Amino acid sequence: GAGAALRPCSTRVALEGINKPVIDRIIRVDHAGEYGANRIYAGQMAVLGRSSVGPVIQQMWNQEKDHLKKFNELMVAYRVRPTVLLPFWNVAGFVLGAGSALLGKKGAMACTVAVEESISEHYNNQIRTLIEEDPEKYKELLQVIKQFRDEEQEHHDIGLEHDAEATPAYSVLKTAIQLGCKAAIFLSERI
Amino acid sequence: VRCQQYPPLRALQASAALRGASDEHKKEPWASSSQQHFDSPPAGHQPEQKPHPSYTGQGGQESEDYESEEQLQHRILTAALEFVPEHGWTAEAIAEGAKTLGLSVAAAGLFHSDGSELILHFVSECNTKLSELLKKEQKLVQLGEAEKKPTDEFLRDAVEARLRMLIPYIEKWPQALSVLLLPRNIPSSLNLLTSMIDDIWHYAGDQSTDFNWYTRRAVLTAIYNTTELVMMQDSSPGFEDTWRFLENRVADAMTMSNTASQVQSTGEAVVQGLMGAAVTVSN
Repeated sequence: GAGAALRPCSTRVALEGINKPVIDRIIRVDHAGEYGANRIYAGQMAVLGRSSVGPVIQQMWNQEKDHLKKFNELMVAYRVRPTVLLPFWNVAGFVLGAGSALLGKKGAMACTVAVEESISEHYNNQIRTLIEEDPEKYKELLQVIKQFRDEEQEHHDIGLEHDAEATPAYSVLKTAIQLGCKAAIFLSERI
Repeated sequence: VRCQQYPPLRALQASAALRGASDEHKKEPWASSSQQHFDSPPAGHQPEQKPHPSYTGQGGQESEDYESEEQLQHRILTAALEFVPEHGWTAEAIAEGAKTLGLSVAAAGLFHSDGSELILHFVSECNTKLSELLKKEQKLVQLGEAEKKPTDEFLRDAVEARLRMLIPYIEKWPQALSVLLLPRNIPSSLNLLTSMIDDIWHYAGDQSTDFNWYTRRAVLTAIYNTTELVMMQDSSPGFEDTWRFLENRVADAMTMSNTASQVQSTGEAVVQGLMGAAVTVSN
């Protein structure tokens, strides 16, 4: 509008010329997702930390911690606002992780498979969006998202390797969790 | 016969003047003579001047100094600010501003009669000035030519700098505040307020990515709004009461955040103590 100037900014990232609304959403929802994933693994570790799958979960959790750290940096660099629902994802993620772990090791793995599948699909959508926008301009962001998508896919495969599908009511559990993920993604993009 | 020719001429001239097809005040003779419409245009204006662009059908003249309607409105509103202390945030001020640019007073018709655009324009300009000021300060700190201020001092100075921009218009500012609260204007005014507060925190070095992001901005917004209201009522020399109020509010906010983190660490310590006690008892 009249008088609206480009917001002056001195972060490492050049904010001029990027599609701010699209990038905002992407970073906000990804940050929320990694935050939630962290809490899910924390919940699983709280129950299964001393079991035989403890080390496996711990390793996946460590990777999620790195992911979250990266999105924290991107959030500051692009001056994106975090989702207002973070405190809610804090609790919901932990409850989901702990709850699925209480169903046993296979239950925890089933939860991992469901969540990681949702996240991989979600990252693929974002990669498509960014490539449609301008692959050159968003090269760094694309690299990050591609790498993270590959790592989430690995987690998904690890979950399958550990008999996720043998969980009682596997398909029901998986559908329910994925529905929750879709809702979480929808909300975190907007609020 | 002549009288009948002029009204359509005036409309064309007014709209042509508003369209801002050129910056060179080619329209000046026409605009200033809009009052003298029914007399012959003053001699000396006609012959040497180039024919009026759109009136003579050269509306397609898009040289480098073609300006968009947005830019024209921007210029009119900026010029109008000079007249706000006298006329308030009104169409009169806008009309006066348009006159100084050599435009017809009908230019005020481009805007709402309650001065909404003028006020929003002013707020936007102030916010831009503030951002530039903070950016300059940040550069100085980065170059090592200035000390990095502690957070409370930074916030205090930023809010004071922004509020000082209101001083020339302070008499009429309460009127502006009420216009900004009109339902029609709330999205824009809220947007301007939140981006200003976000800017201040950004330059203060805020890097929070959790709920603190919201807490900090909410607190600063409250400080800004209350200080602004205090300023409206302040009759002390140099607004020293306002700045003292601001200092106290910022200090309160700092205390609250310190207390909050103290409470949190105390809480964590208590929980650890209880867990330790439980382990001991279970053994």
